[in-house]
Amino acid sequence: MTTRVNSRRDFLKTGSTVFGTSWIALNMPLALAAGQAAGQNMQAAAAFENITAREAVVLGAIADQVIPVDESPSASEIGVVHFIDVVLGGFMAGNAPLLRQGLEDLDTRSKLIDSDQKGFAELSFEQQKKLLRSVEDTPFFDTFHFMTICGMFCMPEYGGNREHAGWDLLGFNHQHAWQPPFGYYDAAVHDAGAEGGKTDEQG
Amino acid sequence: MSKVEGLPKFKTREAVDFVIIGSGAAGGVLAKELSGNGFNVVVLEQGLYRTAADFKHDEIKVMFQNELMNHPGWNDPQTFRNTESKIAKVSQGGAPPALYARGVGGSSVHFTANYWRFHQSDFKERSLLGPMEGTGFADWPVSYEELEPYYTKVEWECGVSGQPGPFEAPRSRPYPVPPLPVKSSGVLFEQGARAMGLHPQPAPMAILSKPHNGRPACIHCGFCMGFGCEANAKSSTLASMIPLAEATGRCEIRPLSTVFRIETDASGRASEVVYLDAAGQEQAQKAKAVILSANGAETPRLLFLSESARSPNGLANSSGIVGKYLMGNGHSVTHAAFEHPLNEFKSVQVTRIVHDFYENDPARGFYGGGGMDARPYLDSTPIMYALEGLPPGKPRWGKEYKQLLRHYFTRKMSVLGSTTSVPLASNNITLDPNLKDDKGRPVIRMTYMDHADDLAMATFLQDRAVEILSAAGAKEIWREPVEGETVLAHLLGTCRMGNDPATSVVDKYHRAHDVPNLFICDGSSFVSSGRGQPTMTIQALAFRAAEHISRFARRNEI
Repeated sequence: MTTRVNSRRDFLKTGSTVFGTSWIALNMPLALAAGQAAGQNMQAAAAFENITAREAVVLGAIADQVIPVDESPSASEIGVVHFIDVVLGGFMAGNAPLLRQGLEDLDTRSKLIDSDQKGFAELSFEQQKKLLRSVEDTPFFDTFHFMTICGMFCMPEYGGNREHAGWDLLGFNHQHAWQPPFGYYDAAVHDAGAEGGKTDEQG
Repeated sequence: MSKVEGLPKFKTREAVDFVIIGSGAAGGVLAKELSGNGFNVVVLEQGLYRTAADFKHDEIKVMFQNELMNHPGWNDPQTFRNTESKIAKVSQGGAPPALYARGVGGSSVHFTANYWRFHQSDFKERSLLGPMEGTGFADWPVSYEELEPYYTKVEWECGVSGQPGPFEAPRSRPYPVPPLPVKSSGVLFEQGARAMGLHPQPAPMAILSKPHNGRPACIHCGFCMGFGCEANAKSSTLASMIPLAEATGRCEIRPLSTVFRIETDASGRASEVVYLDAAGQEQAQKAKAVILSANGAETPRLLFLSESARSPNGLANSSGIVGKYLMGNGHSVTHAAFEHPLNEFKSVQVTRIVHDFYENDPARGFYGGGGMDARPYLDSTPIMYALEGLPPGKPRWGKEYKQLLRHYFTRKMSVLGSTTSVPLASNNITLDPNLKDDKGRPVIRMTYMDHADDLAMATFLQDRAVEILSAAGAKEIWREPVEGETVLAHLLGTCRMGNDPATSVVDKYHRAHDVPNLFICDGSSFVSSGRGQPTMTIQALAFRAAEHISRFARRNEI
């Protein structure tokens, strides 16, 4: 697995490698209604607007390597492929060529591993994992990783984060208003009925 | 758009009393004060006129598409370099080098709302500490005592929650509303700091803990830093000042109006402001006086764009220092994970701060001071957290990654250290000679590298953060590297105030030394950087400027 410098500023600096590259792409209105429909039609075969059925299968296989199934759903089960389909028709349209080239490259490499198979999606989980490790530092994987994370944890209107399953994974409860106590460590303070500022007045 | 009935529509060919360029932290205050004092005011704002109902919890739009920051009409990129010997490169996507919001309310809409008053020393460090060779280290032409009444106005009129801290300068009035309820990060930070013998205090925040001035209290939704407030509890000028300005019937806000230049007449006075309106039509608003409050990057850009035969180096720039002495405040970030859930995704960013290291201390071996706070930082929202929130060296995909995502999200907090910035002429805003925006305007070029003392101070604060978090019982602590800033959310010092026209751009009343009816009031007016939370002081300056400008106007002294 890769080790990266943990710097938020690196992320802010290098954002351009994973975001849409032009102002127009960034400001392209995203059809959220279409995303919602994509989310609802997840099981339907013809739900995709911007990717082929084959691409959807491969994208789903890679997404499930990033967030595999365990006691909670995998990325594709949470709607990540549908999210990718939606944003490729919107602000990440500029990333489509990079994504397609990466998918083709993965299929080509897959045939070198197992010439009997059609491509990446048909490899075993362990074979897929090994192959992805060899491309995890490429712009393709960075872009795909970014899209997967967005699809996992976005507002469900984008077609991902189905039934808030991404947020549930983190323990992020999305509601519009909270009251204290907020967490374990402030519970005692608030239980004591103290006002905002008055916690611990010694010293 | 504003729902207020009967708003004035001033004619562009008839001179209004004031045109204010920018509707942010300073422009919003000036609009409210000047219209309240009986003057006719036109506010030109390049962004949209959003209201609370327009603000959503959409991380993709806000954090990744820069919805609140992009120019709404066209591509207006910026370039960055860390030294003047390099060619600046364009920054596209991600965060721009000069990070500010466009829209009515400006960056006060998306800010985190830390509202520290400056200390007395901030205004006179050059006198207290002596010169720093090769820098623009200088005293302000105003003192804390002169500004104190206006700090109080900010707290009461804009709305600040807090309680006086152990190190702050004398105040004339208590805070209008108490501090916001403490979060787990605040409790842990306070415990750790006390164990270290420090003096943590509730954070002063421009977010209402109780209803005030007809506005509601915070609902603790958690979408604060970088987001607009859907509850109107964050005291942006959009929520606090602009409605009052419009209620006077003498203030017209013109959104989607991007200024291209300030015209001057044969006598060198500002005569009209040329802008593209919402329909893309060129307009020129005549005015008796112009107030430039466009932020520390856009303000010098506009002065450069307003060059003329009389002012070949840019308007109000006979000193040659417009754009220079840019200060952004240095930062260090330290992360920690605890045994139990903190749930930092709830409520405001900051509830406790430490100001024990605010003042300069010769024993440290370098100039500077700073403040520290506890906050979720960029981990309060799920996508940002999942992308970069795990400790270094952890996998970023696969079964273990998924398990780690589950573990850390609720258990993490961060400590942010914010420092002084030494004013350097080599840190500056200029027009990029090689790049124009879609409308042919040269773009903002930022040149910036923190002074070694600023980085040393940031590291000092990070060392203290590690000690505090350790004393608080953190299970894991990790540091982000301390390095030169490349994205500045604080844009300070680029049209500094001073008494000497040779070494400053505006006088102590924010009047441009070169142009008697041009006033410049925003972060660009700063002479020193404070300790990392400038907006409170920007607004105090704006309240003070409005009072003096009104006085000048009444006496026909503009």
